Amino acid sequence: MLALTLEGLLVNAGFAIAGVAGRLEKALGLIESVSCDAAIVDANLACESASPVAVALDARAVPFIVLSGYSREQLQGEFPGANFLRKPCRPAQLLQALNAVLLKQ
Amino acid sequence: MRKGSRTKHMLVTENAELKARLEEAEETLRAIHRGEVDALVVESATGPLIYTLQGMDAASNRFRGEILAQVSDAVIATDSEQRITYVNAAAERQYGVSASNVLGRDRSEVYEARWLQPSAKTAALTALRKRGEWCGENIHVRPDGRKLEVESSVTMLRETAGQPAGMLAVIREISGRKRSEEKLRVSEVRYRRLFEAAQDGVLLVNPDTRKITDANPFMTMLLGYSHGQLVGKELFEIGLLKDEAASQEMVRKLKEVHQVRYEDLPLESQGGVHQEVEVVANLYDENGAAVIQCNIRDITERKQAEEHNKLLMAEVNHRAMNLLAVVQAVAEQTARGGDPATLVERLCERIYGLAVSQDLLVQNQWHGVEVSGLVEAQLAHFKDLFGTRVLLDGPHTNLTPAAAQGIGMALHELATNAAKYGALSNGEGQVRISWHVDVAAQPAFSMSWLEEGGPKVSPPCRKGFGQIVIGRMAEAAVNGTAEIDYRESGLFWKLSAPFADALGRGRVTSPANDARG
Repeated sequence: MLALTLEGLLVNAGFAIAGVAGRLEKALGLIESVSCDAAIVDANLACESASPVAVALDARAVPFIVLSGYSREQLQGEFPGANFLRKPCRPAQLLQALNAVLLKQ
Repeated sequence: MRKGSRTKHMLVTENAELKARLEEAEETLRAIHRGEVDALVVESATGPLIYTLQGMDAASNRFRGEILAQVSDAVIATDSEQRITYVNAAAERQYGVSASNVLGRDRSEVYEARWLQPSAKTAALTALRKRGEWCGENIHVRPDGRKLEVESSVTMLRETAGQPAGMLAVIREISGRKRSEEKLRVSEVRYRRLFEAAQDGVLLVNPDTRKITDANPFMTMLLGYSHGQLVGKELFEIGLLKDEAASQEMVRKLKEVHQVRYEDLPLESQGGVHQEVEVVANLYDENGAAVIQCNIRDITERKQAEEHNKLLMAEVNHRAMNLLAVVQAVAEQTARGGDPATLVERLCERIYGLAVSQDLLVQNQWHGVEVSGLVEAQLAHFKDLFGTRVLLDGPHTNLTPAAAQGIGMALHELATNAAKYGALSNGEGQVRISWHVDVAAQPAFSMSWLEEGGPKVSPPCRKGFGQIVIGRMAEAAVNGTAEIDYRESGLFWKLSAPFADALGRGRVTSPANDARG
């Protein structure tokens, strides 16, 4: 549902959605099969850590934001050097963060 | 005691020497008292003189007289008839008598002896007869009736020929000592009990050598070293401190502030087991010597509990944050479509639905939610229709937390829709909710919702949030597929999912179901 809400938010803001995955396996497949400019990663995908997703994205130099109910301190070990956003966040915050990582490119 | 026949000059010289040696003599007397001395050798102008305790020569007696007058113990001599021949100043004080009054009188006029046991008197008399001396404790009753606990050393006096000439008794009052000894014994027992039974490790350390001088049994349990292995070791040698420098630092600090406390010291027992310990070290003064006492407490369990609590708090926070994010999304989606006039009502309904599932999860400590329980909770509004118009059918099985949240929300939307437009909007429609667990090659879970008897159904023209909830969202929650069929006779919804995604490692506890109805 969160993905769904994000989707709506991002489409409204003028982004195109390359794909959505709720499972680690699907997410890794998605990164293999489609190209994108940026990604939003939930720290947990169906009870699994999404850190392999971060590794795969880093390997392709795709910037990403880690969105989670966990705090930055709790996640730093799993996602070294990543950009974090705490759930729940304001839509404007997310768009701002996304634009920031895209600009850094 | 009689006086010897010596020249005045010699007496003066010897007296001076005796005074100078009084301290030495006191010690000698104590040795005699302890039975360690049989004879005394005294240097004199004419060479060494030997005095024996058995001897009755005049010089010996005079020599004794000089010493006995000075000592703090009571000294009483009697002749063979038990008549007092000598009492010193200490004896006069101890028994409240004066020498002039008691000399020549019976000993019983100075004190009456009482024995702790009847056999003790016999034993004393036997010892005197056979060995010529006796040492022991008994009670002396003074002429005024006061009782004294005393320790006596009695020596048989003999004539040169060897016939008994009387007795010499050195008597020390120990009443006060007895009481403090008793107190000391009680306190020692109490301390020992504490030390032995303590469920904390206790080490005593010498601050000068920094070596362990004693360790209690719990310390052995904690570390696996025997008492013998612990004693003589330094703290760092048993892994309690990092190294010798740390050990020195502890002692330095202790001398300054008398107490130091270390928390989280990782201790390795002899078997290599890692333990978290807390050490409190105190520096005490013990009879003028400094002693370090270290109390070592195993805090492994406390640490684990703290760690567990920390994790739990973080997890609770994470889940709260996630739930708030879900509420945020629900609010956004609810606001997007539908009549703004009913927004608050619709939003409250959905948040209530979320709360119901959440409640079930917490009740079951996040281990999952039983399916029929979830259905009953989400359809609690229609409780009266259960068994007649709302029919439940499926095995007892638990959904994963994620599946419970997704399916819970879907059930909530389906029920709301049925009450507004479907089978529960009139007086006779029925809803059949059934679920199955397929344990074939590809284990799977499926759940269906079938409405009948309601108003005629036609597909909605606009795809609202409700449809997303029972469609894509339900699919995402269980990694499955949802089928939505707007049959004219009533809505049909079916969600199919891999076993593991819907039920986790959960098991079906009863294969078939009594049509709960």
